[in-house]
Amino acid sequence: MRPPAMKPLTLMGLLTAILLTAVSLYAVEDIPAFGDEDSAVNKYIKLFSIDSDARLVDNLNAGILPDEIRNKIYDLGFIKGPTCPGCQDENYPSLAEGNYKIEFIKKGTWLGGRLYTKDGWDVLIHEGEIFYNEPQQYYFISEANGGLSVYRYNWPVRVTEKTEEETFIINAVTSGLADYRGYDTMGEETVILTGAIGVILLLRRRGRL
Amino acid sequence: MTPKKPYKRDVIIEVTTNLMFPLTLLFGLYVMIGTGGTGGGFQGGTILASTFILYITVHGHVKGREKMPESVNALFKSLGLFLYNGAGWICILFSLAGAQWLNMPAFWPVTDFVGVAGSRSFLVGYMVSVGIGLTVMASFVSQYFDLAWKEDEEMESGE
Repeated sequence: MRPPAMKPLTLMGLLTAILLTAVSLYAVEDIPAFGDEDSAVNKYIKLFSIDSDARLVDNLNAGILPDEIRNKIYDLGFIKGPTCPGCQDENYPSLAEGNYKIEFIKKGTWLGGRLYTKDGWDVLIHEGEIFYNEPQQYYFISEANGGLSVYRYNWPVRVTEKTEEETFIINAVTSGLADYRGYDTMGEETVILTGAIGVILLLRRRGRL
Repeated sequence: MTPKKPYKRDVIIEVTTNLMFPLTLLFGLYVMIGTGGTGGGFQGGTILASTFILYITVHGHVKGREKMPESVNALFKSLGLFLYNGAGWICILFSLAGAQWLNMPAFWPVTDFVGVAGSRSFLVGYMVSVGIGLTVMASFVSQYFDLAWKEDEEMESGE
């Protein structure tokens, strides 16, 4: 049997397919490269900065978190400090002695899926911590202009702190769903539509539309 | 021609459903569009779909077709995805291909009036969420219609 001649509808379908392919290529071109320092995942948020001091720097180089920084972090409420002398911290991962380790990282290092854009000390959760088996990036401290700035890596904390500034949406869940992860949600919606079309093709008989 | 019902008519259930129908639709719309508070497209669409499913369950699929005709259903199904992708397209078109896909503040006609924050919330709240909601609602209702037909045919052939 000879194939039928190309109808206007078929031509429209071909044009739509070409257009969709072009859009897909355009969208893929736009996705930031993995490890891009400006992409949302790789940024960390600045918590506070304190005046630098030779003693603090020596402490950090020796692998000890100074009490000034630790108390400031406790004040922010991410970790509750010990309620009595000699107790453990209230929630995990804690900043008690032996639960973390400090390493100096040079600018331009590629580590843990992140590109370091400044020199600084990385506070890692230690291997022996109760809930984390591997060392994890936790806090980042860098020295600049005579001050020590403390940053925190954490995706949920980053979203809750920065969502209004970056996306102008009050609701952090909606901004995550429709803005930070917009491509993902588009795929989910397409999956639902495809499922409905599949049910139509399987169950619906001809002439019942 | 009114179709013969295989079950006994229950006035209480039918009247309650008729009363609930607009209110549940309104609640579904509130959840779907109220992105400043709780909810969003998926939840709102599911509530809207449950409204129609309740109506079809009580009144049968022939009367349910009057509330949700097949043409409207098919339109909603594709229009939802079209709105979502359209929000991304608008950003490219109105910035003359300067902005990225789904880069909301590039939507300058709205940005001029209500500012960057307003345009972003407008696109996410009204185009993206409503798009998701329409697709979810129409897909679920269409699947329910198909299953109701199937059951009806089996009952007919059994008699």
